Amino acid sequence: MNVERLNGLSIDALYALADKMGLDLPAGLERVFLVEALMEAFEEDREERKASGDAAVHMEEKKFSGSELDEIDASIDAAPCIEKRYNETVVHVIVRDPEWAFVFWDVRDEELDALKASDGYCCLFLRVIKEPGYDGKGSSSFDVVVGDDDDHWYLHLPDDDRAYRVDLYARSGSRSRLLAHAAVTRTPRALIADCLADLTPGAAELAALSGLASLEIVPAPEHHPSRILGGFDE
Amino acid sequence: MDSGYVALVLNAHLPFVRQPDYPRFLEERWLFESLSETYLPLLRVFSRLEADKVPWKLSLAISPTLTAMLGDSLLRSRYTAWLHEQLQLAEKEMDRCAGDRTFEPLAAMYQNLYRQNLEDFTILYEENILGAIDFYYKKGRLDLMTSSATNAFLPIYRAYPEAIAAQVEAAVVSFRSAFGRSPSGFWMPQLGWYPGVEETLSAYGLQYTVVSTRGALLGDPTPRFGSYAPVSCPNGFTAFVRDVAATDAVWSETTGYPADPAYRDFYRDIGFDLPLESIAPYIEQNQIRTFTGFKYWAITGSGDEKLPYAPEMASRKLAAHVEAFLADRSAQAAAAMPYMNGRPPLMVAPYDAELFGHWWFEGPQWLDTLFRQAQRSEGLRFVTLAEYRRGYGDNFESVPEYSSWGDGGYGGVWIEKSNDWVYRHVFKMVERMVELAERFPDESGLRERVLNQAAREVLLAQASDWPFLLRAGKSGSFARKQIEDAVTNFNRIYEMLCANTVGTEWLTRLEKRNNLFPDINYRVFRRKR
Repeated sequence: MNVERLNGLSIDALYALADKMGLDLPAGLERVFLVEALMEAFEEDREERKASGDAAVHMEEKKFSGSELDEIDASIDAAPCIEKRYNETVVHVIVRDPEWAFVFWDVRDEELDALKASDGYCCLFLRVIKEPGYDGKGSSSFDVVVGDDDDHWYLHLPDDDRAYRVDLYARSGSRSRLLAHAAVTRTPRALIADCLADLTPGAAELAALSGLASLEIVPAPEHHPSRILGGFDE
Repeated sequence: MDSGYVALVLNAHLPFVRQPDYPRFLEERWLFESLSETYLPLLRVFSRLEADKVPWKLSLAISPTLTAMLGDSLLRSRYTAWLHEQLQLAEKEMDRCAGDRTFEPLAAMYQNLYRQNLEDFTILYEENILGAIDFYYKKGRLDLMTSSATNAFLPIYRAYPEAIAAQVEAAVVSFRSAFGRSPSGFWMPQLGWYPGVEETLSAYGLQYTVVSTRGALLGDPTPRFGSYAPVSCPNGFTAFVRDVAATDAVWSETTGYPADPAYRDFYRDIGFDLPLESIAPYIEQNQIRTFTGFKYWAITGSGDEKLPYAPEMASRKLAAHVEAFLADRSAQAAAAMPYMNGRPPLMVAPYDAELFGHWWFEGPQWLDTLFRQAQRSEGLRFVTLAEYRRGYGDNFESVPEYSSWGDGGYGGVWIEKSNDWVYRHVFKMVERMVELAERFPDESGLRERVLNQAAREVLLAQASDWPFLLRAGKSGSFARKQIEDAVTNFNRIYEMLCANTVGTEWLTRLEKRNNLFPDINYRVFRRKR
């Protein structure tokens, strides 16, 4: 985005863009101030993205040039409406990185209505089970209460390199009822699998020469407990 | 004795955009711009190197969606028409800049570029770019790789082995159809790897890929040679490792070569600089300003004040950047060599192909100069991934960790608040497709056509380009529409099959519009037991 491109837009389009960028600008601003505010926001955004890591995807954006503005996108037909949900009782987990997972769920209308009408219905909650075994129990678990109208959350998972399962429950009084469970998933490692001290000197040196520091990968501490006491390192 | 190897890997990919219902369509320009600024200029580089007997080699991943578009007659004819429009604009620019000692030569440069493109595309290659690529593949200069069918970020679908298999099978079939042989190399879109994916890849005869440095270093066990040699998974599948330094030298927006002030500026374009009336026929709907490809200014600095582009100054910088690249790789190899047990270090440098020429205007020339200089460089040798694998089959055994080349190194780019809504729908599509394949395992005729189209729509919905664009805030409405269209089409098919009715007219229209993967077999979605 540059000044020329912004100057080619209508005032309404500039306000729409400001809105999209999360800027709260007073009405009636002159073009020059609008453009200035937007340029500052773009610069901040660019700096944030730059600071956030890898350059590969930033470069990838460039091949989609020529259509940066939604004003242009509006030239095509309005998108069809798709149903937002499928009225089923289900929960899914997608692991995003060593710490976070995206969880989305749904409860069939009839089932939720029946739950709400039942005595003592309190809430829906997600049970996060670490290292689940065949019996469904794990080394530890915790519950996250969600709203009846919620349908997705980003869950913080406490440990990297661990298996987790997320179950969807309804709580009524002191009882909990399992509604659905997601497939077992695993968080990726954030630390190097082997302690550098345990590697041959050459391997440690080559790991460093490969960019260990610039990738901000933290070597595992000596005798990293998770490598020895799998599942009991809390 | 070679003191080090460099493997350049270019990933050529564009999402499937083909809109026969519209006389012209903005996003089809992505293909036209890439053909004009990247693919055709690269083919000219290859041709010159060949003519001068320069020993050049590189690995080139060409995505199935790009393969489909390059082979499509409608898009090919539209590209020719677009080139004629560009030449018309070039003519006007020559008139406008006539007598101007600074800008007239630049207008002439673009006129020559588009003339050359038209001649190469229509006469030399007879519109068959895939044939031109195949020529260098058969000569052993290009090591061609395939990629997932629609550039799906595979780690997201790891819970659905049917979806992973479908992405891989459609890609392999498409590659065979285009190039007459089976691929050995597989480009993981966004370098999105997860442990276990090697089993599916091997099952389709694929032998190697590239993973991110993070993924390799976090592999289990820690690789013996860092990123300086590939690792072998227990099933024999080879994972080459991206070299951070070699990649950043070209990729980095701030410190990479393309950011040099002498190079041509990407953003400043007459589509935004000239009065609307003079460029109206060459922009969108005669009124929405877009890039035209005519850019007369050098990067200069971060501000808006730009100096005119001076190609001879850019060429001098380019030569210096080639020297720097080779010197830095030699230094890297020398630093790594003492720890390599006598094995020359390998530096794998993967880039998006479209970086060369489209974004970095001088990129193709840089590659040309690089190969010429490299033949005079002592000890450093350029290899393809396939060639290296043949020479060094005995690799350290390790399984890379889930990773990507996106911000943060995992899946954060494709799973975040702007795009996470996509997965509720795509997961449902996959589940329903598996259900359909199980219910109708042996169909033929019309019902088979319907099921195959359903499978195409699932693949199209999985394209990682759309979540990527939603996050980038570019073409967001278009990206959303691509996903919603695929979901809508699929759900309509699903309902038709459930009701045992088929709208043949609608189906035929859809088959004609989304005409990629003609040999798809919906049965790939049968449940993997």
